[in-house]
Amino acid sequence: MVYILLLLLGSAASYFGPWWAMAPVCFIVCAAVRPPAGVAFRISALAGITLWVGYSLFLYRDDPAGLTGKVAGLFIPALPAVSDVPPVVLVAVIAACVSGLISGFSGLAGARFRQLISGS
Amino acid sequence: MYMKRIRHGWPLLVAVFLIYGLDRPWGAVPPLGRLFSPFAGFLQNVERARDTMSGSTVLPGLRGEVTVWYDDNAVPHIFAENDDDLYFAQGYVIARDRLWQMEFYTLLVAGRLTEVVGRAALDYDRYHRRIGLARTAAAITRRLEQDSLAGRILRAYAAGVNAYVDQLTEKMLPVEYKLLNYRPERWSPYKSILMLMNMRNTLNGGSHDDRLTNVLARYGQDIVADLFPRYPSVESPIVPAGTPWPFTPIAVPARPAAITAPPDTGGWASRVPEPAPQVGSNNWAIGGGRSATGLPILANDPHLQLTLPSIWYQMQLSSPSVNVYGVALPGTPAIIIGFNKDVAWGVTNTGSDVMDFYRIRFRDSSRHAYWHDGQWKETTLQVETFRLKGEPDVHDTVYYTHHGPVDATNGLAMRWVANETDGADLLTFHYLNRAANYGDYVKALSYFTAPAQNFVFAANNGDIALISNGKLPLKWKEQGRFLLDGTDPAHDWQGWIPRAHNPGVKNPPRGYVSSANQFPADTTYPYYLGWRFAHSARALRINERLDAMTQATTDSLRVLQNDNFNGDARRILPRLLASLAADDSVRTTAEYGALRTWNYRNEADATAASVFEYWVDELMSELWGDDLPPDEQLLYPDLDRTFELIDKAPGSRWFDRSDTPDTVETCDDILRSSFKKAIRKMTEQFGPYSEQAWAWGRVKGTRIMHLVPNLTSFGRTGVWNGGGNASVNATSITHGPSWRMVVQLDTTWPTGFGVYPGGQSGNPGSPFYDNMIDRWAAGRLDTLLFMKHAGEPSERLRHRLVLEPEMK
Repeated sequence: MVYILLLLLGSAASYFGPWWAMAPVCFIVCAAVRPPAGVAFRISALAGITLWVGYSLFLYRDDPAGLTGKVAGLFIPALPAVSDVPPVVLVAVIAACVSGLISGFSGLAGARFRQLISGS
Repeated sequence: MYMKRIRHGWPLLVAVFLIYGLDRPWGAVPPLGRLFSPFAGFLQNVERARDTMSGSTVLPGLRGEVTVWYDDNAVPHIFAENDDDLYFAQGYVIARDRLWQMEFYTLLVAGRLTEVVGRAALDYDRYHRRIGLARTAAAITRRLEQDSLAGRILRAYAAGVNAYVDQLTEKMLPVEYKLLNYRPERWSPYKSILMLMNMRNTLNGGSHDDRLTNVLARYGQDIVADLFPRYPSVESPIVPAGTPWPFTPIAVPARPAAITAPPDTGGWASRVPEPAPQVGSNNWAIGGGRSATGLPILANDPHLQLTLPSIWYQMQLSSPSVNVYGVALPGTPAIIIGFNKDVAWGVTNTGSDVMDFYRIRFRDSSRHAYWHDGQWKETTLQVETFRLKGEPDVHDTVYYTHHGPVDATNGLAMRWVANETDGADLLTFHYLNRAANYGDYVKALSYFTAPAQNFVFAANNGDIALISNGKLPLKWKEQGRFLLDGTDPAHDWQGWIPRAHNPGVKNPPRGYVSSANQFPADTTYPYYLGWRFAHSARALRINERLDAMTQATTDSLRVLQNDNFNGDARRILPRLLASLAADDSVRTTAEYGALRTWNYRNEADATAASVFEYWVDELMSELWGDDLPPDEQLLYPDLDRTFELIDKAPGSRWFDRSDTPDTVETCDDILRSSFKKAIRKMTEQFGPYSEQAWAWGRVKGTRIMHLVPNLTSFGRTGVWNGGGNASVNATSITHGPSWRMVVQLDTTWPTGFGVYPGGQSGNPGSPFYDNMIDRWAAGRLDTLLFMKHAGEPSERLRHRLVLEPEMK
């Protein structure tokens, strides 16, 4: 349920707000719902990953000029180890890391903040 | 309590720190958070069926409604109710496709790249400030803003660009802004002028003066005159030899006794680059007597550095005063090369000597005063400020004499036509767009200052013409061939060739006009224009083919644009092979065999073309590298003089290498050793000889890279095609025909064909980013859709965008 809520609010906020809009959403929802700290982190990270990777793949499915490959190609000279990784995987992994970490820590921060002010 | 806050607060700190860290770049790493967010990052630049192009948008500043039709090649056809709206819409529409590119050029010319890429660009920027382009652009803008027509055009165009800049949201930003982490500024008339300054620099921004002066200092007048003649041995000038000059020449300033003031030290090294031999162009027009329809056909292909986004942008501009199709320079109003119902025109670079250097005698090291014409004169100084990304500002002082800016590294002043502030180049194009006949064309050309261009022209009344047009300094013979004396007023530029005396030709008896950057006129022309123009191979081939044409069609001219015939090979290869034939170790090789059976065509699959091109390069350095080493800032004679020596003076002292005092090399020795060196070099680079590995298309490896060199995956490499510097199809590794156009004039409606190596969109995420490259490489041309009016139906129209004025 919290997961669905995060996805719904997160997508709306991200569509209209800045790229890090998922962070305040996770913070507020977790502060309001008060899940245990570990759950707050996991569920927020999962929602962040779902949203970013899902939307990335949605946009990638119709990329006639291969922009994903071109942008991934910019990182290859610095990271020769990933030169065989399909560009979309590289993009998805970076998106997952960025969104997962920021969402996860924001959710955790929200849960902890609530614990702090409610004194438990 | 304190511990509790830390225990509960640290995840918030981590989250904030992560957001901060991923919102900004780290060294070369772009802001990963913003870039990889699918909501705001690069994936928002993925362009599908251009669905965003249909519809309507309200643009404050428009007076009436403007209709923009996009065709199947993403070319916009703009129909406006008045010229202000037309230029407004042109700015708006180009910005939609090319905003990042046009701003990038302005930053480059104005020496402001450090603001987006940091200290790495400082030297580059400093160079651009020191040659004075931004200062000149500002002066031109100040003047043109007072001009009732030019100012109006520039303001309308800038307003259109800004209408788009105002619509931009974070996610709509071109991907380069996201990668390099900056945002577009607002556009202005000044920036449009900077775009034109970029062309002045590209086409007139090179000089041989330093290297030739060094040759003079080392070897003296006679040898310079022998090795660097003022006119080539083989040439076919733009104005056909024997054409009478339709004017009485004016007096040329007297030639002083001393024509140079050589530097104290031998190795004068200018920071100005040598003129790039690949920057050149072809244009021609055949009269009705040679065409199948009995009306002229015009062709043009300007050769520039091949880049993505492309330097050109196709569009049709239509208002009650004009209906024109062609290519525009992003950032600049009007169509630069194109056609309308009645006329067509195109340009090649004239390339006369319009950049000279003066040795200045400063009063002291402060450089506040210099000696000229018997008195001390004040310099003016301009402090240039460089804003560095992430670092404190850097300042540089540039001193100006009446000649022009002083190069801080060597104290020499530069006089350069690019820094002339009169004229109104953009009005030339405004009026050419509206021209209906030869008289209109001549009037339009009168506004043009620089870079001087050979404007080819054809009209549907049968007229064809070609004029080397632009401001050309009135010089004494050889003025500015060497370093000049900045104290002597006789060395100043003292006037201009009257515009009506510029080389030009109209309806010549031979039935065609043509140019390929060669000498505009032969030695009967009464004024001095320069001593070195482009190598004559392309011009000779074009004129030879045009001489043979009857009943020509647009396809005949398309074929000539793509002609890979190597005129140099025909001229010199038989003589070169004769020397190899005497060498048993060479005569049996596959490379020799390939050359012997070669048809002199630089086709993509020709291995002989690869061998010949490498051989000529090696031959030049083997022959001249010992006596005129480039790293000592000395200049090689050109190909024409070199071929002439091989042909007519094989006993010349220059064939004997000066670094082997014990042996005397002959011409044949040099030919054979250079051949062996070339083969060795090719084997190292491409492996042993084979039809595939040594094919010219592969060896040449034409590439079309993004304007930012680091964005390698945004470019195209290994484009398979033929051509070369000595072919009409002048495609080298990095340069080539940046737009090919052929127009059949007609009394009712013309037919235009064109293609350029790129695409209409500047967005690497668009299918129209590089979609024309393959057709261009194959030598094909697209049929251009030139609409009569906005309501004309066509199956090729895809999207209709309506630009609406704000409701009053």
